[in-house]
Amino acid sequence: MSPLISKSSARRHAMVDPDVHLMLRVRDGDAEAFTELMRRYQGRVLLVLEHLVGSRDWAEDLTQEVFLRVYRARKTYTADAKFVTWLFTITNHVASNALRTKARRREVRLRGAANSSGSGRPLERFLQCSSGQIPARQLDKTEMRDIVRLAMETLNERQRMAVLLNKFEGMSYADIAQAMEMTPQAVKSLLSRARLNLRQMLIPYLETGRPPEAPPSVGAEELAS
Amino acid sequence: MDAPQPPKITDEDLIAYLDGELEDAACRWIEKLLMTDPAIRRRLQELERTWELLEKLDEPVADDRLTRSTLEMVAVEAAREVQETSPLQGRRFWVRWLLVLGSLLAAAGLGVAVGWFLTDDPDRQLLEDLPLLENLDCYRQIDDFQFLKGLQERMLFQEDQSDEG
Repeated sequence: MSPLISKSSARRHAMVDPDVHLMLRVRDGDAEAFTELMRRYQGRVLLVLEHLVGSRDWAEDLTQEVFLRVYRARKTYTADAKFVTWLFTITNHVASNALRTKARRREVRLRGAANSSGSGRPLERFLQCSSGQIPARQLDKTEMRDIVRLAMETLNERQRMAVLLNKFEGMSYADIAQAMEMTPQAVKSLLSRARLNLRQMLIPYLETGRPPEAPPSVGAEELAS
Repeated sequence: MDAPQPPKITDEDLIAYLDGELEDAACRWIEKLLMTDPAIRRRLQELERTWELLEKLDEPVADDRLTRSTLEMVAVEAAREVQETSPLQGRRFWVRWLLVLGSLLAAAGLGVAVGWFLTDDPDRQLLEDLPLLENLDCYRQIDDFQFLKGLQERMLFQEDQSDEG
């Protein structure tokens, strides 16, 4: 919980959230309320997860996992926060666990194959392929989408999550802090680094059609922390 | 003496300003700087432009298939929960039914006992009249009731009964 918001005031805010009331009905065994919550939030969870993990099929599996966890947690649910904050706390846990597991598997797979050829950064690869063919011209919609997607992939997992919650869910720093179990000040710094990284990746490309000279690192210090 | 330098604006503040996360005083300070400093204005525009570019990302739509599949998973989970809790429910069921059965048996026993004392039972009457019935043939041979009463007062019948016993 954000230190700026007391528990009692968070509870007061939560009680005016209609989705909190739906979740309380789910807690009391109302299946219709659960279906309604799924109808309202499944697409939003899927959107965040797809951009977080970069695969539609995987994002669908994780979305199902999120709602299964919501169902399992219904009996212990308390209206301490907005429903969306609680939901994306679960989403964040599910995504973090999945990405950690994937990273461990990849580490095992890559052991012994350290000298593989080519750049590891997708945006660099993309730019190496396309920059020669792109003068300073108008980028088409698909190309733009791919560039933005690849720029997002250069962010680390936490930066990406914060950006997605802020951009697509319109969540405040305090709500993101609660969902990601950080302080609002840490969220402010995280979002700042993420947006500066995105600016550094995208602005030169938009203006000149040329790749940026030195793509920034993907926040190794955050991964290490 | 030089005037004190105003605090330098950071990208973190600019981004918080764009996100509407700054307090009024800080907003006014940034707006004042934006009016006078083209470099800050440019930084802000770049950040804003980059942020808007994220809208180019696909917005996946959850289809009915995913909804159906998720609800099926939840239904399986619900069934599993019921299965896990049913042994407990079964035990409670049998305890409840044993209590009901015990109460019924106790009530029935009480009813029989009360009935025994309150109703005219022909067998009980027969049992009480058994000494008379056993000697009925003897009594019939004697017509005088006063004589029989005299024999009873002398305890002659009781001796017979104790001899027989």
